Order: sequence, then C-alpha cells, then structure tokens
Amino acid sequence: MIAELENIKHTAIAKISTVELLEDLEQIRVEFLGKKGKVTEILKKLGSLPPEERPIVGNKANEIRDFITEAVETKKKELLEKEFQRKLETEKVDISLPGRSLGKGHMHVINRVMNEIVDIFIQMGFQVASGPEVETEYYNFESLNTPSDHPARDTHDTFYIKPGIVLRTHTSPVQMRVMEKTEPPVAVVVPGRVYRVDNDASHSPMFNQMEGLLVDEDVTFADLKGTLMYFVKKFFGEETKVRFRPHYFPFTEPSAEMDISCTVCMGKGCRICKNTGWLEILGCGMVHPVVFSYAGYDNEKYQGYAFGFGIDRMAMLKYAIPSINLLFDNNIRFLEQF
Amino acid sequence: MKISYNWLKEYCDIPVSPKELAEKLTMLGLEIESIHEPGKNIDNVVVGKILEINPHPQADKLVVCKTDIGKGEPLQIICGAKNMKVGDKVPTALDGATLPGGIKITRRKMRGVESFGMMCSPAELGVADDAEGLMILDPSTPIGLDIREVLGLNDVIFEIEITPNRGDWASYIGLAREICAYYNLPLKIPSFQFFEDDEEAISISNVTIECPELCPRYAGRVIKGVKVAPSPEWLERKLVSAGQRPINNVVDITNFVLLECGHPLHAFDLNKLNEKRIVVRLARLGETIRTLYGEIRELKPDQMVIADGQIPQALAGIMGGADSEVDNNTIDVFLESAYFNPVSIRRTAKAHSLLTEAAQHFQRGADPNIVIWAINRATSLIQRIAGGRVLKGVIDVYPVKMESKIVKLRYERTKKRLGVDVEKQYQKSILTNLGFSIKRETNTEVEVQVPSWRHDVSLEEDLIEEIARFYGYDRIPHTLPKVRQTEVTFDTTFKKLHNIRSFLVNKGLTECFSWTFSNPEIVEELGFPESFLKMVEIQNPLSKNLRTMRTSIIPNILSIAQKNHLEDRLAIFEIGPVFLPNPTDILPDEPQRLCLLLMGYAQPRLWCYQDRKFFDFFDLKGLCEELLDEISVSYKIEKTDFPILHKGQSLKLVVKNEIAGYLGKLNPKISHKLEISENTFIAELYLDKLLASTPKRKIYKEVSEYPSTSRDLAILVDETVDYADIITSLKPIGERVLRKIDVFDVYKGSQVPKGKKSIALSFNFCSNEKTLTDEEINSLMETIINTLTKKFNAQIR
Ligand SMILES: [Zn+2]
Repeated sequence: MIAELENIKHTAIAKISTVELLEDLEQIRVEFLGKKGKVTEILKKLGSLPPEERPIVGNKANEIRDFITEAVETKKKELLEKEFQRKLETEKVDISLPGRSLGKGHMHVINRVMNEIVDIFIQMGFQVASGPEVETEYYNFESLNTPSDHPARDTHDTFYIKPGIVLRTHTSPVQMRVMEKTEPPVAVVVPGRVYRVDNDASHSPMFNQMEGLLVDEDVTFADLKGTLMYFVKKFFGEETKVRFRPHYFPFTEPSAEMDISCTVCMGKGCRICKNTGWLEILGCGMVHPVVFSYAGYDNEKYQGYAFGFGIDRMAMLKYAIPSINLLFDNNIRFLEQF
Repeated sequence: MKISYNWLKEYCDIPVSPKELAEKLTMLGLEIESIHEPGKNIDNVVVGKILEINPHPQADKLVVCKTDIGKGEPLQIICGAKNMKVGDKVPTALDGATLPGGIKITRRKMRGVESFGMMCSPAELGVADDAEGLMILDPSTPIGLDIREVLGLNDVIFEIEITPNRGDWASYIGLAREICAYYNLPLKIPSFQFFEDDEEAISISNVTIECPELCPRYAGRVIKGVKVAPSPEWLERKLVSAGQRPINNVVDITNFVLLECGHPLHAFDLNKLNEKRIVVRLARLGETIRTLYGEIRELKPDQMVIADGQIPQALAGIMGGADSEVDNNTIDVFLESAYFNPVSIRRTAKAHSLLTEAAQHFQRGADPNIVIWAINRATSLIQRIAGGRVLKGVIDVYPVKMESKIVKLRYERTKKRLGVDVEKQYQKSILTNLGFSIKRETNTEVEVQVPSWRHDVSLEEDLIEEIARFYGYDRIPHTLPKVRQTEVTFDTTFKKLHNIRSFLVNKGLTECFSWTFSNPEIVEELGFPESFLKMVEIQNPLSKNLRTMRTSIIPNILSIAQKNHLEDRLAIFEIGPVFLPNPTDILPDEPQRLCLLLMGYAQPRLWCYQDRKFFDFFDLKGLCEELLDEISVSYKIEKTDFPILHKGQSLKLVVKNEIAGYLGKLNPKISHKLEISENTFIAELYLDKLLASTPKRKIYKEVSEYPSTSRDLAILVDETVDYADIITSLKPIGERVLRKIDVFDVYKGSQVPKGKKSIALSFNFCSNEKTLTDEEINSLMETIINTLTKKFNAQIR
C-alpha cells in the first residue's frame, strides 16, 4: 500500500507539473482527492487493514493527500497568475479611440453668460425681475424722463406696434414696473431681449440687455462704482481695470459710462479698442429725481442707482466672438463651441 | 463733431498736449471718438511751380513736367493728371517723401523716363476725397514751403461725440469755456469791430413775431452793398477742417460763426424778400416752401416758418429757402440771429427729415443771450470780407424774456449722493468756474443762477453731477452697498427656465437663440391653424419677412433645421416667448415656450454605433416625459390633429383642461417641402402652463423589506388597443402589491395574425407586510388575465 501511495504521489506530481489549464488541474484534483479520488479510495480502505498497519498507512496517506493538495494549490496560483498575465497582455484596446457618447448638449452662449452674470448679482443680494417685451411708450420712454420730443429718443430707433406701443428698446422700463410694485428697498437685475431698428455687422434688431436697480436710503455713487467693479472683476477676471466717465442718460443723474481695460490687448491698444486700451461696456448713474416722481418715491428720502449693459457684448468679449450676427445665426457648428 | 486743436487754441491757452487734452475731455464727459493728425505721415512734400509740361515719349497718358521747388535745378517729374497748366503751384513730393498710408516716394524710371518725385492730388495728401487731378494751390503760395504749413496740416483733429444734453459744447467757444473752467483759465472771446451807417436798419426792414412762445427772440441786421465772392483761404480752410463745403463768403461767415460760438445764423437776400420784412409765424394750411437745393416741401400748420410779407422763406431754424438764398448776385443782405423753441425745431426737422447743423443746435437749446454777439460777430466779418454798409442798429424783437433758472445746492447732499466728501469751497468754486453765479448763500447751501447756455441744469442733482465731473469720477471711492431685501418676488421663472435649459443640455440637446420676429406668410404656408395667424404686427419692420412677432417657435426651429440640413443628426431646442394678442389688454401675452427638434439619426456617426437608427416618436416622447417628470407636473396626453404634425404620431399635452403643448413627428408634407429629413420630430411645450401648475408633491413611499417577484405575460390584442388603456384597466388590481408594470416588447408582423399585436408585460409584485406566496401571486395573475380577456379580448400567448 505504501508503494501504491508513493506511486500515486509520483503520478500526481507528474500530472500537476505538466498541466496548463485550470480546468485540467481541477480534474487532477478530483482524480486524486475527490470523493472517488485515488487517495480518498485508499483512506476508505484503511479499515480493512490490519490494526498495526493502519496508523502507518494512514499517516502516509494523509501526508500524501496534504502534499498533493498543496501542490494543486501552488499550481492553481501559478496558473491563475498566468491567466491574469494573459488577460493583461491580450485584452488591450486602443485607448485613443473616442469614448462612446450620444453627443453632448450645449447651452447657448448668451444664456450661459446671462446666467453667470445673474448669479454674481444674486450673490450680492439682488433678485431677478422681468417685464414685457412689447411695452408701452410710457414705461419705455416717458416715465424714464424721455418724453416724445426728447433728443435722446434719436439714439433709440424704435419698432412701433401701434401708437403708444413699442418693442422695448432697453430693459429699463422694468425699473418703473418694479418700483410701482413696492416701496424701497429694491434690488433687482433684469435680463431680457430688447429691440432696435438696426441690422448690420455690429447690430442686431434683437439683442439682450441686463438692467440693474438698487434703491434704498443711502445708496451712493460710490456704491455704484463698487458694485460694478465687483461684477466686472468676477466676470472678466481680477486683473480687469475699470474706468468711469461722465455721460448722459435721461433717467440718471449723475450719469456715467463704464469702460474696462481691453480684453484683447490688455489695455495696450488694438483695433478692437480703437487703440484706446478701453472698451465701453456699460451705462449707469444715480436714478433721476423725475423717474422717482413717476414711481412715487420720495427723492429726499430715497436714492438709488441703475445700470444697463449688453449681454451679447459681454459674451462676445468673453469668448472673442467677432460678430453679433453669429449669436443669432444658429449654425450648429457655432453653437457646439460653447 | 470735428474739432481742430489749433483753432481751439485761439480761444484758450490750453496748458496740455493734445493727447492729454483728449484724455481730460473724455473724463469730463466728452467722448473723443478719434484723434487724427492730418500731417503726421506727410514728410518732404513742398510747394512746387510747374514750369514746363511736355509729352512723354513712350506713353500717351503721361506727361513730363519740369517743376521748380525753390532750390536747385527744377525737377523732372512724370505725371498722369490732366488738370494742371504751366504756372500752377502744386504739392510736390520729393525723392524720399512719405504720404499718408505709409506711401514712400522715390526717384524712379517710368516708361524709360526718370521721375524725381510726384505731384499730389488732394486724396494723396489725405485732405479730401478728390483723386481726379492735382491739388492746385493759391498762386500766391510761396514756392518751396512745406505743404503741412501751407495746408494747416500740423494740427490735431478730434472727432468728438456730444451727448444730447450738452448742446453748449458743440462749438469752439463752448468747448473752450469748459476747458477754461477746468484749468481755471480766462476764455479768450474774440474782439471785433465794424462801422454802422447812419441809415437805420428799421427804416428798410422790420420783424414781426406771431408765435412768441416758439420764437421768443429774433434779431436782424441789414447790410447793403456786399460783394459776394468765394471766401478767403483761411476761412475756407476752417470750414473744410470742420467737414463743411465752402459756398460763398456771406454764407461761409454765418457757418463760421456757428462753428465758433454755436449759434446758427441765416442770411437772406434782402431784395428777394417780399416787402423786405420778416414775419415769424406758423405755416398756413396748404403753404409750401422751396428749400435750398430746390426741394419743394409741403408745410403743416404746426411748423414754424420765417416768412416775408407774403410767403415762407425759410423753415425756421432748420433750412433757408431757395427763393431768398444769398447768391453771387446778392447785394443787400438781411442777417438773422434768433432763438427758437427746441421742441418745435425738433418736430419740424423730423417731419421733413432735415436734421441740419442749425436744427441740431436749436433742438438741443441755443443760448438766447448770445443772439446779439453772434449777429455782430458775423456782421463784422461780412464787412471785413465782403464789404458793404452795415445799417444802424440791430432789429431785436424779444417779446418773451427768457429767465435763467435758480437752483439750490445743499453741500451735504453732494456727499449723500456721491459717497465722497467734497469740501464746500471746492464745490462752490467748481460751479462758479462753470459760469454759475451765486445768488444767495449760507453756510450749508448755495443758490446759483444757471448760465443761459446750460439748458441741462435745473435740479440739485444736476449741480451734483457738475461737481462730480470736475472733482473726477475716478477720485470717487468704490464701496459695496448693503443690499436689503423686499418681500415682493418679481420673477419666478428665470431660474426654472434655466433648470429646464440645463436639463435638456445634459440630455444632449443644443440650445438655439432666434429672433422673435416671424413672417405670417410662412406660418400660413406651413399650415398652422388660424389662431396662430392672430399676430402682433410691427408698423416699421426691418423687412416684410420680419413684420410680425412670432406666435410659435416652430417656424424658427424649422428654419434652423433647414439651415443645418447637412448635419445627419440634430437635437436642438429653444426657449423663449411667443406673442399672443390679448383682446382685453393693450399689451399682448408673452408666454414662454419650449420648442424641441430631433432630426436624422439618433446616434452620432461613431465607431461604436455600427447600427445607427433614426430618431423616432418615442425618442421625443421619452425626452418630454423625463422633462415633465423633472418639473413635477401632472398632465394628460390626448390624440391631436395639429396640422404641423403627423396625425398618426402626435399627441397634445393637457394640464388642467388646457392645452400645454404638442409633440410628434413632423408632417411629412412639411419635411418634404422644406427638404429636410423625414425623420424629424418636434415638440412645442407651453412652459407658462407647465410651470404655473402646482408641482406634484413628492411624498415618501415605504420601501418594502420583503423580496419582490416578477411575472411575465404576453398577450395578443387588436392593434387598435392602446397600451395606456390596458394599464388603466389593471390599476385597481392588487393595489399595494402590484408595484410596477413594464412593457418589454410590442410586436406586429408575420408572427401574429393580421390586425393583431403582441404585447409582453412584466408585472412586479411586492408587499410591505410579508413575502408573497406563489398562490397569492398566481391568483393575482389570474385576475389580470381575466380582466384582459374580458376587456380587450386578449389571447394569452
Ligand atoms: Zn485693445
């Protein structure tokens, strides 16, 4: 029996050492150690041996069983390792192929910018307000201190719907609509479409503006400067320089225009900024007393500022878009850039 | 407005360079649009005199000239111009000269003959557009002189934009006055003199004002025996530098005085005025006037004219009449200097589309107090240049004295408004420097009289602006305000729309942005129902194609699809208002709409999508369902025959019994007509309706700790049976245990009888109380099968 066991051991070792597949190894394990395996069979027969032989053969059989078990385990590890290696070697893909995608969507650059700007002002405590795009002349002009014979109307080439009704030429009429709804404090920004009879390389008959209005008891011109500088630095970057120049708007006094250092040449002077190093981007000022009187606000008690700027222009500057017409042309190859 | 730096210096000793001045003016509120140095690029160009003109031996179109340039031998110069003759003096660019635009002149051979320079046209010197012939200079011009000196090109020309409130800036004296105020310098008003005749002006002519509210002041002078001729060169050059065309000495002088002091004048030929008198009045019904350049204009009774004893001779303050204009035969002149009401001028000028220089000045408000100075200044120049006898006295009719306003400034108010403390004395000195005179003052406030040229100042805020301007906007600090909140909410949709936008972008759609105009003909041709043709119309549209405001975004998105028809896959959307006339309001409703379009292939052309499929109805429906779930709205779907869509593949959304949108396949008639893919799917969702309905409240449902069981069932039903009806019929069964029904296959075709379809359903059962037994589930399945066979005549497969 001992000899038989030795023989089994040698056969097993020979088989294990040459096996190459895990399935075959498993078969070998079953052949020797399974329920009907050769070693198992011997162990079953132990009872039929003379008592004095039993421990000797038993020990030997156990020893050989352990030996084969370990050999199988070792081989298994080895084969597994080989298998892993094979997978790692053979399951290669061209990682430079593009990933599977149904196509990414793209928000329109105007709305992307509009939302970004709104968020900056919301952070400062402003809320969004809105108003109609088909507007009365009263809100669009008169209540903003721009009666029908005012020369400032020349700068607004207005689309007329019928007498007294226009397509709003700016987002400013919403100022009045907001002030009619509540006493100060008022802090709103008004993004929206506006319209002017103008269509060429640098004008679109429909474009987008954002209006801002802050009215309270102690709002100053210095606050206006501070608010807009904060906004510009957040939007265009901390290094942006800002300049305020006196200007004229019928609905603010004092009035100002704000320039930023040219985003193209960084203020050195280029074609875009007409060699001045500055880009005019925004009109603003302290709300005119006549506007307050239309709103029914007490000019002695309250004061406030208002500002307005073109969202399209902001987007064009930020993304170096050369023509406003690209924005409304809806060419998919343009839209997919943002 | 063009302003010459050299000319400006005649009124004010400007202490800074042109560049610094431009910067300062910018910071005072005058926008310098451009700075031009006309002589900057001109070098080595001198006055030459043509001594000989000989034919070129090799070229018919060229001549060989000998030109004396004042030193050395006369130069041989080849020239192609025709307008010169021997003895003419012309600008001559020498060997090595430069001209505007970086052009360099060198000696060179032209068709075998050597040329030692170039004789120049006005265009080549950049002084005028005329490129036809050489610039012929005044015969008295000294030979050899630098052309920059001769033509006054050593100058800096500012192009200034003047805001509508500051008409007083629109002249040399007006501008100089501001500069002097800023630098605290004396304004150099030109002095002049002339000699009056003994004959009284009033004995020859007189002035009647019939409408004193529109013309509070009218002054006239009579100058007899003038000699009308071209203006002297200095005068012509000044007009040209301002962009004007010289006409004759008398007219040029009135234009010069306008440029100088900002007050428009007009010169009539006295002998062409009926009864030789002036009546300022409103036009009479049916009257016409022939204005300069000969156009006959019909007048309206609210338009002010300057008439003679009989007929209108000028549109007051806007343009003179052709019948009384000063021409070469004029001998006696009636000179007008008046103040006209700005609104009246503006209305009439607009009505006739005649925004002349004069009209622009008057509509911004002229200075009533400069009327006499201006007429005398012009008179002195006419006498000096055109000769003539000035009759005695100004006929000055001033029925309504114009009072200067008094405005109060509380010094504290400046700080309150601006947020910076400007010293009291400083505030006061800014105002006095600007010509405001102090009427009354205390320690805390001052009352000032507004100068007669400042029509823009009437309130304390206006004075504060003056202080802010002169103090310097750049010196005012910047602070962040304390922003306090109100309880009112002004807008509830901006962020909601943005969330929808983000959702769709994340779903892979690209956003478009269209003009909100539309063309009703297109809308009609597409086959929109009648109600979509009730549109807001624009009276003055950019073009016929853009003459209404849109009532749907679909035409916009279809035109975008057409524009991008070469793309084999398009998934786009637009959010924006449509404009619906409201019979009970003067303004239309402007509800927000969302328009979606899917066109072509559902997958991009990519290595990993070998078997690409076209978009279909359920791609669009699925997208819309997810969106509606995202905004938590309760809705129903119904069949529709919306003509834009394919009637077999379309539906409408209904929220609270109102239509809340349409979606479906584009009607193949339309895709055929537009030549776009037939696989085009469109939705227009009425966001106003969807967002206005209260969102479904999401409430926690207990998550069962017991396992769930699924059973599949395939049934055969008539193909007309709707899936939704099947599901609805099963709703009451096994409430609380039938958790979910999924449809995992729908089949029509050879494997099932004609007119039938097979539907495979998966039922998921789960209880919150226990693990369901097989018997319980079997009995539920039995009920389900019974219901389906009874209600839909379903066969179990
Ligand atoms: Zn630049």
